[in-house]
Amino acid sequence: MKIKIKCFSQVKYALGEDVLDMELDSGTTTSQLEKLIREKANGKLDGVSLRIALNQKYVPDEFELQEGDEVVFIPPVQGG
Amino acid sequence: MIIVEIVNGPIKFFRSDDNRQQDGAELIFNGRVRATEHGKNITALEYEQYEGMAETELTQLAEETVGKFPIHDLFCKHRIGKINVGETSLHVVIWSKHRKEGLEAMTWFITELKKRVPIWKWAIMEDGRKIPSECSHE
Repeated sequence: MKIKIKCFSQVKYALGEDVLDMELDSGTTTSQLEKLIREKANGKLDGVSLRIALNQKYVPDEFELQEGDEVVFIPPVQGG
Repeated sequence: MIIVEIVNGPIKFFRSDDNRQQDGAELIFNGRVRATEHGKNITALEYEQYEGMAETELTQLAEETVGKFPIHDLFCKHRIGKINVGETSLHVVIWSKHRKEGLEAMTWFITELKKRVPIWKWAIMEDGRKIPSECSHE
């Protein structure tokens, strides 16, 4: 299945990408995807807490992904 | 009533209102860009948002604030894009019968904003480099 990851702040800085289109096995969960992303960042996201937004809403860590999902790993926010 | 806007460009402040008969307090908060980040000089901050979700979360938060505290209205504008040192990034106005509930609502609203609204800032350093700000406060 295909999913899209939008990258912001430290995630964008670590991966050097605004958007990642990924092909994943059916049944992949958000926590498994987070592990993949952290590996891809090669240590640059170590110590950075990430919340997960799925299709523009916060979700718990363990959530099964579906075809066409939009995922954002949200580092600590800094509005204001 | 609430008004929430995310704007890309200088904030036009909400007008002070002399015609409110029931509001003894009109609280105005302007968050501005400091000249330093972690002790290093910067020329500006560049705010980025997760478009769509940021405005949704900010609107939900404003609605929660009006529901949680006995205030009448909350208006908020958050600026994104490049904001020079000294300029306003966040403008909030709350009207309430008395100051106490307005002040409490303002503090809670801004604290929660800094926990959940997906907006981030990049520091523009004096040498032109752009790096994610490490600055986050509750």
